[in-house]
Amino acid sequence: MAVVILFVLVLPFLVEDIAYKYNDFYLREQKKKVLQVIRQNGIDAYLQGEENYGSYTMLKEEYISLEPAGKVMIPDTIATVQRVVEGDTLTYRVLSHVLTDHQRPFMLEVGKKTATISQYNRPLQRVALYVLGGLIIITILIDLIFTRLLLKPLGVIISTRLLNRRFPFREQASPVKTSTTDFKYLDDSLVELMTKINEAFEKEREFTTNASHELMTPVSILQTKMENLLVDLEPYEEPQKKILGMMKTLNRLKKIVHSLLLISRIENDQFPKNDDVSPRLLVASIMEELEHRLEEKQLHFSARLSPEQVLHHLNYDLIFQLVYNLLHNAIKYNRNNGSIIVNDELLPATYRLIITDTGIGIGPQEIDTIFHRFRKVQKGTVEGYGLGLSIARTIAQYHNIQINVEAMEGKGSAFILNFPLN
Amino acid sequence: MKVLIIEDERAMASEMDTFLKKAYRCDLAVTGSQAISKLDDNTYDFVLLDLGLPDMDGLQLLQQARKICPDAAYIILTARGQLEDRIKGLDLGADDYLPKPFSLLELQSRMQAIARRKFALQDILIPVGDFNVDLQKRNVYFEQTEITLSRKEFDLLSYMLLHKNRPLTRTQLGEHIWSNFADDDYDSNYIDVHIKNIRRKLSAYAAVDWLQTIRHVGYKIKI
Repeated sequence: MAVVILFVLVLPFLVEDIAYKYNDFYLREQKKKVLQVIRQNGIDAYLQGEENYGSYTMLKEEYISLEPAGKVMIPDTIATVQRVVEGDTLTYRVLSHVLTDHQRPFMLEVGKKTATISQYNRPLQRVALYVLGGLIIITILIDLIFTRLLLKPLGVIISTRLLNRRFPFREQASPVKTSTTDFKYLDDSLVELMTKINEAFEKEREFTTNASHELMTPVSILQTKMENLLVDLEPYEEPQKKILGMMKTLNRLKKIVHSLLLISRIENDQFPKNDDVSPRLLVASIMEELEHRLEEKQLHFSARLSPEQVLHHLNYDLIFQLVYNLLHNAIKYNRNNGSIIVNDELLPATYRLIITDTGIGIGPQEIDTIFHRFRKVQKGTVEGYGLGLSIARTIAQYHNIQINVEAMEGKGSAFILNFPLN
Repeated sequence: MKVLIIEDERAMASEMDTFLKKAYRCDLAVTGSQAISKLDDNTYDFVLLDLGLPDMDGLQLLQQARKICPDAAYIILTARGQLEDRIKGLDLGADDYLPKPFSLLELQSRMQAIARRKFALQDILIPVGDFNVDLQKRNVYFEQTEITLSRKEFDLLSYMLLHKNRPLTRTQLGEHIWSNFADDDYDSNYIDVHIKNIRRKLSAYAAVDWLQTIRHVGYKIKI
């Protein structure tokens, strides 16, 4: 770029220099012609008895003059000088030459007006600029095409290995076709990395599944024992209270195991996605389950959902659970006399469901981790063990639903579900 | 009614036995082969089958058992809880499917529901205090007057009636009514809200002293 700018800056001088050089050459040629003509016709044919001779074109652009000169022989000179022609003082580029005719020295001057010399400078400069600009564009285009061609495998690697892959990577990736060793190396490394991630993920999933199943049996035994014990201990208030505490703890364990199992089953693709779901009816039936919870905090609930919208290729039970968890949280973390609003928007390729509450909100330092498993929430009296949103995210990912949160601490939060419409 | 409990975890089997023997006559089998010999020798109304047996595939046992004893009602109990197992089990003729861990109360109410359906037990009106409850039609009557309860309120009342004279915790009650959802609010008073509503609606007609609050625990219907 610097070279180009330098060239553009220097261009006027270059053009002028070239114009002058060419002009000097032209003057020398003219001189040769004049000398030749003088040699043929003799100098007197021009002088016609006068001391000197002068001739110029009509607009005084060029002139030729012959004058007697001193004895001194000087070599040819070319200089920019001023001459008075018919009372006008004009600047000429003049070639002076001393010639001798019959022992008489004459000074021959061939001149060209400097204005005429530089008259072609501007157009020349412009043409040069255009050519330069054109060259630059052509160079850039060639560069682009060439680089694109060269980097095509990189694009393929990025799009097939990184962008269009959804975790977990199930399908075996075929190697990208390329003759560049570096790209091959990159591709192989990425495939290897993903295989490792996949293996780790598979192991974790297997562990979750097995651990959950193994935990279920002892939990069942404990639960049944406690249930029987609770009845046996009926007249005794204190021991009964303790059993109840144990049952609560056990129940918590049970819920955790259930949730982990659910997540691992979703990740195992165990749920068919063949259901059509009307968001309006879905929210209505969830609220039928949750209505009683609104009373507790005197919450105001309103749903404004389009009656015609139907979403396809979903698993009804999972979507129910997803929206249920979000609505449940909206109630659980709300304040007394607060409100919950569910509305929707139809975008070109997306159906958007928005659940807004006036609850405790989410702090900026927490917002990135709310979907993580076992995130601890401890706000006032409400305590959770943090699997509800993790389940929500797993279900959303399973259906390619984008789930976003906008929240302000102390003001409330909005959970946004973007369902793809294809 | 006679129940065969097929369960390899002895502790689990004996707890089920303890719970169910108040209402049923129970037999235990801890292996598949034991189960088959018991089925050959007896006639059962209910077979409670754990799928994870040491000597035999639970679903295969279900097929064999149904040949030997086709009139029994089969309830699958399993810790595997896989969706395919559930579908396969129901396809093979199981009447219900209960994933572990389950509540014994839930097991009993499922058995009652099957009994009503399968053995066509005509429910007469169940008296409670001065009221009568029709589980089939899901109605509550005071003399000839029908009292309107919400769906959840009726579920709660009938569940407590089924397990009458037994203290029921809020968690147990909540689990029955909202079984599928991971609900972690133990201190929530939503069960109390429903009980309060039931009491309010019924006490307009007669006393509801049979619906007792058990301090720290929950509720009980005492009749």
